[in-house]
Amino acid sequence: MAAVKQTVEQVQGLEKYKHGFSSDIEQDFAPKGLNADIVRFISAKKNEPQWMLDSRLDAFERWLAMDEPDWAKVNFPRIDYQDSYYYAAPKEKVGIASLDEVDPEILEVYKKLGIPLKEQEVLAGVVGSPRYAVDAVFDSVSVVTTFKKELAQVGVIFCSMSEAIREHPELVKQYLGSVVPVSDNYFACLNAAVFSDGSFVYVPPGVRCPMELSTYFRINAENSGQFERTLIIADKGSYVSYLEGCTAPMRDENQLHAAVVELVTMDDAEIKYSTVQNWYPGDPETGKGGIYNFVTKRADCRGDRSKVSWTQVETGSSITWKYPSCVLRGEGSSGEFYSIAITNGRQQADTGTKMIHLGANTRSRIISKGISAGRSSNTYRGLVSAHPKAKGARNFTQCDSLLIGKHCAAHTVPYIEARNGQAKFEHEATTTRLSEDQLFYAMQRGLSQEEAVQLLVNGFVKDVLQELPMEFAVEAQKLVAISLEGSVG
Amino acid sequence: MLSVSNLHATVDGKPILKGLTLDVPAGEVHAIMGPNGAGKSTLSYVLTGRQGYDVTEGGATLDGEDLLALEANERAAKGVFLSFQYPLEIPGVPALTFIRTALNAQKKSRGEPEITAPAFLKLAREKAAALKIDFEMLKRALNVGFSGGEKKRMEIFQMAMLSPRFLILDETDSGLDIDALRIVSEGVNAMRSPDRAMLVITHYQRLLDYIKPDRVHVLAGGRIVASGGPELALELERDGYDRYAKAA
Amino acid sequence: MSVAAAIRTRDVGELPSRRDEDWRWTDLRGLIRVLPDASEAFTGTLSPGPFDRLAADHHVLVNGGDARIDVAAGKKTLVALRLVSRGVGAHASRVTINLGAGARLRLLESYESDGASVCQTALTITLAEGAALERIVLAQDHEDAVSVSQAEVRLSPTADFGQTIVASGARRQRLETRVVHPGGRASARMDGVYLVADKRHTDHTTVVTHEGVDGTTSQLIKGVARDQARAVFQGKIIVSEGADRTDARMGHHALILSDRAEVDAKPELEIYADDVSCAHGNTVGAMDEDALFYARQRGIPEPEARAMLTEAFIGQVIDRIWFEDARKVVRKWAAERLRV
Ligand SMILES: Nc1ncnc2c1ncn2[C@@H]1O[C@H](COP(=O)(O)OP(=O)(O)OP(=O)(O)O)[C@@H](O)[C@H]1O
Ligand SMILES: [Mg+2]
Repeated sequence: MAAVKQTVEQVQGLEKYKHGFSSDIEQDFAPKGLNADIVRFISAKKNEPQWMLDSRLDAFERWLAMDEPDWAKVNFPRIDYQDSYYYAAPKEKVGIASLDEVDPEILEVYKKLGIPLKEQEVLAGVVGSPRYAVDAVFDSVSVVTTFKKELAQVGVIFCSMSEAIREHPELVKQYLGSVVPVSDNYFACLNAAVFSDGSFVYVPPGVRCPMELSTYFRINAENSGQFERTLIIADKGSYVSYLEGCTAPMRDENQLHAAVVELVTMDDAEIKYSTVQNWYPGDPETGKGGIYNFVTKRADCRGDRSKVSWTQVETGSSITWKYPSCVLRGEGSSGEFYSIAITNGRQQADTGTKMIHLGANTRSRIISKGISAGRSSNTYRGLVSAHPKAKGARNFTQCDSLLIGKHCAAHTVPYIEARNGQAKFEHEATTTRLSEDQLFYAMQRGLSQEEAVQLLVNGFVKDVLQELPMEFAVEAQKLVAISLEGSVG
Repeated sequence: MLSVSNLHATVDGKPILKGLTLDVPAGEVHAIMGPNGAGKSTLSYVLTGRQGYDVTEGGATLDGEDLLALEANERAAKGVFLSFQYPLEIPGVPALTFIRTALNAQKKSRGEPEITAPAFLKLAREKAAALKIDFEMLKRALNVGFSGGEKKRMEIFQMAMLSPRFLILDETDSGLDIDALRIVSEGVNAMRSPDRAMLVITHYQRLLDYIKPDRVHVLAGGRIVASGGPELALELERDGYDRYAKAA
Repeated sequence: MSVAAAIRTRDVGELPSRRDEDWRWTDLRGLIRVLPDASEAFTGTLSPGPFDRLAADHHVLVNGGDARIDVAAGKKTLVALRLVSRGVGAHASRVTINLGAGARLRLLESYESDGASVCQTALTITLAEGAALERIVLAQDHEDAVSVSQAEVRLSPTADFGQTIVASGARRQRLETRVVHPGGRASARMDGVYLVADKRHTDHTTVVTHEGVDGTTSQLIKGVARDQARAVFQGKIIVSEGADRTDARMGHHALILSDRAEVDAKPELEIYADDVSCAHGNTVGAMDEDALFYARQRGIPEPEARAMLTEAFIGQVIDRIWFEDARKVVRKWAAERLRV
C-alpha cells in the first residue's frame, strides 16, 4: 500500500494556501488605469523599438471597440479596467548580468516557493537528477533566466520576451501574434496592448532541448494585473518540454491575469507544455479576492507530423477561463490535452480545449478530469472540429467529472463538428460522485475519511498526472491534496 | 488450386510480406506456422482483399484466376473463406440474417437461385447441431457478447453454411476448450474433399493432431523459409523458430 | 423572440439566429429574408397519413389550428395526430395533451409538408402520476419546407414518457423537446433517428431537467447523413440541486456517408447535485471498415453490406419503441430510405 502511505504523509504535510505570503519589495509602478499613455509608458520602460509600440497601440485601439465575453459559465462583477496597475516591476539596476545582482528579497521569494534560481543549486543535486532552466517572472518583468549559456551552445534561445524583442526582433516579428491574432478575443487583445513580460523559446531544427525549460510566474504587487506573453517556436524536427508554474499572495481584491501563449511547431517538431496553476483562489468562505485567470493558449501545428501536448493542473484562481487549443494544420499532426481542474470554495472554472482539424490524418486526444467541491462550479467546454479537407482525422475525448458535496456543480459542454465523411470522433463523458463503497473499503482498512478521499481522487486523476514531467507530478499531486482539503465531512 | 508467387505486400505502407511463394493443390491441407508478427494474418488478409493491405509485387491465383484483381466479396463468391483470428462483432444483425444474406449474395453472384427460407433453416439446424451450437445463439446479434471460443465456433459454423472451396483458418484453435477443439476439427475435416484445399495457420501441434496436414510451411520475416511434411511441425514444437530466425 | 412570434408578426427579426446559443447550428434569421404570407385554409382532400391504419382516433391540423387530446384517468387510447402543411404559406399550430392519473396514450404524430412552407407547432404535454405516454413522431417534410416542432413535456412522479422521433430533414427542420422531470421514479426515454440526404437539414434538440430525486432518463439518438446534408444534435441533461439518485444516460451516434455531409453535436450535462450517475457518449464518423470487410469476406457486395450495417445501426433505436405496430411502420420507413 505504498500509495496509501504516500497519501498519509501528504495529508500530514498539508497546509492552507501556502504561497499566500506577500513580500515588501521596492517596486516601480505605472500610474493606475489604462489609456494610450500607459501603453506608451510600458513600451518605454522596456526600451522597445517603434514597431512594437505601434503594434501595442493598434491592439489598444481595437480593444476599446470590443465587448467583454459573457458566454462562459462564470459569474463575476464587472471588472473596472481603470482600477488596476498595468505595470509593476521591482526597482532594479538596468541590465542585470548575473544572479548576484538580483534583489536578494526577490531571491528569497523564489526560495520560499522552492524554485531553484541558482544554477549551482540545481547542479549540486544528485548526479542524474533532473535539471531545468527557469525564467522567473515577477509581476511585470522577468527577473532572471538560468542556464542561458548552456542552452545557447546547442542553439536554443531561452530568454524573457522583452529581451527577445530587443535581441531577436526578426523571430518575434515573424511569429508574435501569428497564432493568436491581436483581436482574437477580448483578453488576448488587452494582452497584446499591455503585455509586460514572459518567456521566449526558439529551438533550432533537429535539436532536442537538453533540459526542461520552465517559467515561474509570481504576482506580488497589490492591485496589479499580470499580462504575460509567451512564444515558443519548435523548428523542424526539434523537441522541447516546457513547464509553467504560478502563484500569488492572498489579497482581498481580485487581480487580473490575462496571458497569451503561442506555440508553433514545424515539420516533425514536438512541444510538450505543462502548467501547474496555483494562483490564489480567493477566500473559500466569502469568495473574496483571488485571481481572475483569463488566458488564451493556442498551438499552431503548422508542420507535417508535428505534435503539441498540453497538460494542465488547474487548482487555483477564483475564476478560470482557459482553453489551450491546437490548430492541426500540418498533415498527420497531432494534439493532446490532458487536464485536471479542481475547484473548491467559491471557485469557478470554465476550461477545456479546442482541437481544430484542418489537415489530413490529424489526430487529437483529450483527457479531462474535473473535480468540484465546496460551492464551486467546474465546467468542461471543448470543441472538436474537422474541416472538409481533414480526411482521416481522429479524435478521442474522455471527460470525467467528480462531485464532492451537495452544493457544487459540474458541467460538460462539448461541441463536435464533423464536416467530412472520413473523420472519426469519439467522445465519452461521465459525472459521478465518489463511490461510497470505495470510501468505505478504504476506511475499513484504516484510512481516515480525508485520506480515503485523497486516495480515490489520486486514482481519478492518475491518467493525467502521469503525463506531467516527474518532478512536477509530485508537486501536482500535493496540490490536488491541498486544494481539496476540508471538502468532505 | 491456390498459387502464390513472390508476393510482396505492405500494411499501411509498411512492408510485411517480402517475396512469399506458396502452392496449395486441390485436395490438400497445408499448415503455416511461424513466430508472432511474421505476417501470417497479413497473408490471409492479402488473399481475401482487406483494405490497407497492398500488394506491391508478385501475385496470387485461384485455379489460374487472378485473385488480387477481385473485390473482397467476389473472392468470397469464388469460394475463398477466411476464419478470422479475431472475428468481428456485428451489432444489430442476427447471426442467421447475416449468414443468409451472405449465402444468397454468393449464390446470386454465381448465377444460382436463392435458397428458400425453410431450406436455409433446415441447413442451419443441421450444421448447428453438428457443431453443438445452441440454435438460440444464432438469433442474437453476430458475435456480440459471444465468448472467444463461441466466436471461433461461429466462424466454423459460417464456413459450414457457406461451403467454400478454399479455406483459410487463422488460429482457429486459439480460445477453444478441449471439447470444442475436437468438435471444430471434426467440422473442418468433414469439409476435406478432392476439390477443396485448406491453409491452416496455427501455433500448436495439437490442432494438427486433428487436422492432419499434407505439408507444413514456416513463415518468417514475410517469406516461406522452410517447407516439409507433417514431421516439420513436430520439429518446430520441439526446437522453436531459432533456426529460421536467421534464414529470415 | 420565437418562431411562433415571427410567424404571427411576420417580423424576421423575431427569428432565432446563430447568435442564440440554442440555435447556433440552425440559423433561421440568416436563412429567411422574408416570411411568406399566412397559409390559406385548406379545402381539398388529404392523402392518407403514415399511421392511418393503426389508429381509430385521428386529429388532423392542416395549415395551423389548435387541437386538444385528453385522456381521462385510468383510460387507455391510441391517437394519430397529423400536422399537415399544404402550400407555401406560414402558419403555427398548437396542441395540448393531458393524461390523467394512470392514463395511457400511444401518440402517433406526423409532420407532412408539400412545399416551401414555414410552420411551427407548439405542443404542451402533461402527464399525471402513473400516466404513460409513448410518442412516435414521423417528420417527413418537403425539402423546401422550414418546419419547427417544439414540445414542452411535464411529468409527474411515477409517470413514464417515451418518445422516438424519426426525421428525414427539410430545408430546415427542428424537432425540440423540453421535459420537466420531477424524479419520483418517473422515467423518460428521449430517442431519435435521422436519415438525411441531399441538401436537407435536421436538428434534434432535447433538454431534460431533473428537479427531484430518483428520476431516470435514457436517450439514444442515431443518424445517417449523406450527400451534402447536415444533422444537428443538441442534448442537454440538467440535474438540479437536490435531485439526488438521478440516473441519466445519453448516447448520440452518427454515420457520415459522404465527403460533404456534416454532423454537429453538443451533448451537454449540467449537474448541480452530487449523488448522481450521468454519462454521455458521442461518436461521429464513417462506417466501421472492419465490419464492412468482414461482411464482404463472407460474400456480401459492398452496397448491400453498407445497407445492412446501417439498418442494423439504426435498428437499435427502433427496437426500443414499445408499440410493436409503430415499430414496424418506422422500420419500413427507415428501410425504404436506406436501400437506395
Ligand atoms: N496497421 C498496421 N500498421 C503497421 N504494422 C502493422 C499493421 N498491422 C500489422 N502490422 C505488423 O505487421 C506484422 C505482421 O502482422 P501479422 O498480424 O500478419 O502477424 P502474424 O504472423 O499473424 O502474428 P501472430 O502469430 O501474432 O498472429 C506485425 O509486425 C504487425 O505489428
Ligand atoms: Mg495472426
